[in-house]
Amino acid sequence: MTFIDDILNYDSLSIVGLQKNTGKTVSLNYVLDRLPIDRKRIAVTSIGIDGETTDQVTRTQKPEIYLRQGMYFGTSEMHYRQKRIVSELIDVSDENTSLGRVVTAKALTGGKILLSGPSSSSGLKRWMKDMHRVGIELVIIDGALSRMSLASPAVSQSMILATGAAYSTNMNTLVQQTAFVVDLIKIPLTEEDNLQLLMPIEKGVWYIDDEGALHELSHISSLSQDFRFEGMDRCKTLYVAGALVDGFLEKVRKNPKLKTCELVVRDFTKIFVSPQQYRLFLKAGGMIRVLQKSKLIAVTVNPTSPLGVTLDSDTLCNRLSEAIQLPVYDLMKKECN
Amino acid sequence: MQLRDHIESPCGLRYVFEQLELQAGYTRRWMLDMPMMRTGEEIAQSYEVLRQFVRFVEEVDTPYINTLQFRLQGLKDIRTTIKNLGQQAVLDDIELFEVKHLAILAVDVAERMKANGLDKAISVPDLNEVITILDPDGLKMATFYVYDSYCQELRDLRAQMRQNPNRQEELLAECAEIEEGVRRDLSKQLVPFAKALEEAQIAMAKIDMNLAKALQIKQLGLCFPTISKDDISRYEAMFHPQVKDALAQRKRAFQPVSLTFGQKPTLITGANMGGKTVVLKTLTLCQYLFQYGFGIPAQSADIAVKDEVFFCIGDEQSIEKGLSSFAAEMKNIDAVIKASRENRKIVALIDEPARTTNPTEGTALVSALVKVLRGDNVSLVMTTHYDIEPTDARCLRVKGFENGTMNYELVEVQDGEVPHEALNIAESLGIDKEWIESARAFLIMSNSTQLEGLSGLNMANSPYLNPSNSRGLKTKGVEFDPLGEKGGNA
Repeated sequence: MTFIDDILNYDSLSIVGLQKNTGKTVSLNYVLDRLPIDRKRIAVTSIGIDGETTDQVTRTQKPEIYLRQGMYFGTSEMHYRQKRIVSELIDVSDENTSLGRVVTAKALTGGKILLSGPSSSSGLKRWMKDMHRVGIELVIIDGALSRMSLASPAVSQSMILATGAAYSTNMNTLVQQTAFVVDLIKIPLTEEDNLQLLMPIEKGVWYIDDEGALHELSHISSLSQDFRFEGMDRCKTLYVAGALVDGFLEKVRKNPKLKTCELVVRDFTKIFVSPQQYRLFLKAGGMIRVLQKSKLIAVTVNPTSPLGVTLDSDTLCNRLSEAIQLPVYDLMKKECN
Repeated sequence: MQLRDHIESPCGLRYVFEQLELQAGYTRRWMLDMPMMRTGEEIAQSYEVLRQFVRFVEEVDTPYINTLQFRLQGLKDIRTTIKNLGQQAVLDDIELFEVKHLAILAVDVAERMKANGLDKAISVPDLNEVITILDPDGLKMATFYVYDSYCQELRDLRAQMRQNPNRQEELLAECAEIEEGVRRDLSKQLVPFAKALEEAQIAMAKIDMNLAKALQIKQLGLCFPTISKDDISRYEAMFHPQVKDALAQRKRAFQPVSLTFGQKPTLITGANMGGKTVVLKTLTLCQYLFQYGFGIPAQSADIAVKDEVFFCIGDEQSIEKGLSSFAAEMKNIDAVIKASRENRKIVALIDEPARTTNPTEGTALVSALVKVLRGDNVSLVMTTHYDIEPTDARCLRVKGFENGTMNYELVEVQDGEVPHEALNIAESLGIDKEWIESARAFLIMSNSTQLEGLSGLNMANSPYLNPSNSRGLKTKGVEFDPLGEKGGNA
């Protein structure tokens, strides 16, 4: 399948499941199995414990992560000592997890491995920096348990989104909800001038006036009910550095002064609005942009939920593909493998 | 006492520490565990090493320094592993990796030190033999596993494993036994190097620290101090880096201050906002920096070595702990007095003691404190707003307002009388006019009562009425009307 080549254009990829059991690990193994390791030095890690043989929450069968000879991997000291492959250590980092420090090694034989990498996104960022220092060209992150923040463009440049019946067994809901997340991921970048001005700002609500001057708007959070827009007649761009929530978005939509202004958020993981509010905002002519964007490489589906409900794979793939205008893959299907 | 016990001192030691460009987390922890140096020889020796590093950073180009810094980033804390080795435990792959990694780094850094004539200043033990033990293929790479070359049988088993992946589990078990044997053998060979490994780790932390301190000296314009032989500390044009940076952000300059203190208690008086507290902060900071071997923020400094440093300042934390500000302060000063009786050499820097109580008792407390702390083993610098009889003390005063700007210079005065500039300064801050004018009127009234009561002097001599008196207050057009009623006499 073609999306494998796409991955090679980026130096990091995260694989994120919208829910547990949406086939994230299957997607990861699918990718690991096909990447050309002779062309690029590739390291894989996971946030928190992964690769356990049974799902620790639902007790369902979980596929293991299979490493090919020549691949690099990051895992905790404890899991490294339990490994069942021959591997060569290349780094012992200062990143601590509950299972010891994160160590990185090169697989000298193929085999299954338990991955338990850095436990926070800042730790992950530091580990990735270390990896690039030791010459790794592509880092693949197995994101855990619908923790979207780890797919943040601040962490990884590209992503694969895994969805499926575990997220919702109602096909309509599943398609709509997934399409909404994809919409958010696809929000375009704001213009270059804004990027430079806003990128260093990590908190608060700010606006840029029609002369390009930056103003801090509020000392209260955008989450607060008491948020007021005051004295911003010439607002051209409104920037929310933190979370964007329903209440705030509604206020922007209903404020006539802000009708023509562009709303900027840091990245899609900072958007916590309901699909309804989001649609109303766009319908009213609202425009939303991001400072950082990661490339959505593929969407994969697992039509079976852990409770045993199975949706029709072809219908699901077709309907979802139509809704998001991107190819959708069911990697559980035999013919894919 | 270690650096970690002093780092939170309100003098701003943490600020200077955080500005060090340390490359390894281990160096940071090692420094925080450093005991404060308490002898002149120790301090002189540490500055001698630092001097060589300053010369080094001046001589070599930036990319060379950057490469050395980059290497030092690889310094890890492997004390646990070294301890295990010392106890003759069998090290596992991760531990053997750590040992090899440290050895390769140490050899590389040692070569760089030698190439720049720094190997005498800090010597890194030779760990080439350790590398030889852990690098059977001579690859000189900082990676590790139980290499095939250690054992032919292992090589064969692994080859089989690659050919028959379905027999992997079974073959792995066989390998594991051989690997463990190899590790046992390697660990045994490494035992004699445990001490050298530990020394190499510390040596590299020292290099990291000295490099960072040397770069800081250049960046912040710090000086090398001399060690005082007569227990008197002398500072020329000292400054406080944190205050200086804060002022620079507001596009204002820090006025450096010169000061000598030591044998006699030194009292600093001066107007509010005259920088008295900053002087004490800077003195405390310099004392700590000196005893931990940093560059000193001054043009020149001759500093006396002390056993202990006390900095007493209105302490927010004590207030948070539920002590009243007075109680907290009394307890802090009490600790100084106790230490002074133990015959340790101490420097005590006390900011406006007893400021929160009434002036009568406050003055008495401060006067008595000067007396209690005038022992030979105590160097005392104290600021105050109270009028203190300067029998046993040297008095310095902040020059104060001159032509509308503050001059922070310290000048010697013969009497202990404090300047009366609070109202002028409050006025310059744009504080409510009615309040200030009314206060002035109160002063005139109380002063005239006193003066008339004492000697019947003419009111014209009052410092509050005489604008030519540099310490007096301008009182142009002030009406004596403290209660807001017209008709008082001026």
